[in-house]
Amino acid sequence: MIVTEEFFNVLLLIAIALIFARVLGYLFHKFKQPAVIGEIIAGILLSGLGVFVLSNQNYILFNYTISIPNINELFKSPQFIFFAEIGILFLLFISGLETSISKLKKTEKASLYVAIGGVILPLFLGFLSGIFFGYSFTESVIIGLILTATSVGVTVRSLMDLNVLDTEVGATILSSAVFDDIIGIILLTFAMGIGSLMDAVWIGIKIAIFFFIFLYIGLKIIDKILLLGEKLLLPKSFLSITIAILILYSFFAYESGISGIIGAFVAGAIIGQNVRSKNIIDDIKAIGYGFFIPIFFVYVGASLWNGGDIEISSFTSIFLFIIIIIFMSIIGKILGCGIGAKLAGMSKIESLQVGVGMIPRMELALIIATTAQSHNILIGNVAHIILLTTIILTIATSLIAPFLIKATFKNND
Amino acid sequence: MAKENKLIKEFYELKVDQLMDKRVWDLPLIEENEDIHHVLSILGARNHIWVIKNKENKELIGVITEHDVLSILAPKHFPSYVFGMPDVRSIQHGTANTAGEVMASKIIMCDPNEKIIDALMRMVKFKLRRLPVVKDKIIVGELTLHQLIRKYYSATQYHPILNDGEG
Repeated sequence: MIVTEEFFNVLLLIAIALIFARVLGYLFHKFKQPAVIGEIIAGILLSGLGVFVLSNQNYILFNYTISIPNINELFKSPQFIFFAEIGILFLLFISGLETSISKLKKTEKASLYVAIGGVILPLFLGFLSGIFFGYSFTESVIIGLILTATSVGVTVRSLMDLNVLDTEVGATILSSAVFDDIIGIILLTFAMGIGSLMDAVWIGIKIAIFFFIFLYIGLKIIDKILLLGEKLLLPKSFLSITIAILILYSFFAYESGISGIIGAFVAGAIIGQNVRSKNIIDDIKAIGYGFFIPIFFVYVGASLWNGGDIEISSFTSIFLFIIIIIFMSIIGKILGCGIGAKLAGMSKIESLQVGVGMIPRMELALIIATTAQSHNILIGNVAHIILLTTIILTIATSLIAPFLIKATFKNND
Repeated sequence: MAKENKLIKEFYELKVDQLMDKRVWDLPLIEENEDIHHVLSILGARNHIWVIKNKENKELIGVITEHDVLSILAPKHFPSYVFGMPDVRSIQHGTANTAGEVMASKIIMCDPNEKIIDALMRMVKFKLRRLPVVKDKIIVGELTLHQLIRKYYSATQYHPILNDGEG
């Protein structure tokens, strides 16, 4: 085995990235903001320091020369990206583990309507904005997709502060946010393979086959597979089998021509239904939350400096594009989810509250942007601008949503 | 030592049915729709409650332990990443109102015909001190570590492992 210097440099970067991520995440948490934003900013800072200050510098300390490698190149190295990509798989796997199929089956009509409305309108508005600013069809679809999935963490905290989590509005937001995540992941798979209408049909068939084989049959045989893991009386063998299932599902999903992240989500969903999963959820979270997922968010932040050469003259148009996207993301959810809620029979004020509660975007938006980038759907300056837009969108919606939620519930009083 | 070895082997080979507590009427049972305050009142005296669909057929659908109550009694704290379906059950926020909302529905159980060694291994694996004994989804008894310790110790003191009429 050849262990290169670059490998150890990447390990050093990972160590520093984890420390930065946790410290900044904690600071954001302390100020009642999502820790994820702190972790993304950790990536922006670290990579920014690398670009502008530290990279390729030599420092002498007591006759010992410290040579700092090119940090930005290390962030782009296959090793670092590998860890970040595993972070995405863990995020979706955990999401699947915590998604109760039985609870989803019992979901009220309102949640489904809200989720569908909250996907269609933002998707459409994002797509139109993309086309308006001169992006291609596929790029515009990705922009639309970034606006589809709600991140419920910010909303839950606001609803808790207002003591209205136990209302119909609270329950509807929670269930709808799960649905729009699932719809967002499936639509991303379509977007990654679509070149024509026939492609769309073919991908639809592949997704249906994948779901049938790996979800339906998986649910039937998963117990036996997990039982095998349980019988291997070696430390954490059950966890090893579970991680192997996650990787196999992602692999087969990728090989089937659909996204590996669907495989990770489905693997989580089927294992999560099994009684034996009780034993491994904490272990999986420890690995995911403790290692791979922060690396993913740091990578997202660091990618901000990876762009091509954007001309200063285009800054105004990029700024305008970001403002429009943030506006569309807010309007799209308020109207789309609001109309869905109204159609399901909720009152006007409740529909508004639901719409506002669905505004925050975070994890899935970032996953969609980075996955589209890693699959070369978004390249060069376009990838850079869309990632920048997504990061600012996630931060802006997370900051704006709590104020709007409080305002709509105040009106209710 | 050899005698102890023989005794424990015999102990392992016994069926769950032979050592379990069969007094179903005495088990802490609650229906899923019952109020959270009823849950709290039972857990003030017991360590756990088995949640059943209804008192007539006693189909087991969940379990509530002190640990489950701790998570709804303490102020709610979310992890850094809330992705998927967050657990929002909390007494403070009014999102934990019935036994069904608080219970853990993934229940590790055992069959009356299983060997004690298998039940013990399951307790070790899942770090549990008690297992419900379930037949055709209906709770028919309970096997606790406390009972097993008592029975085994009693056997080492030259009492029969099984009392008259058991087995």
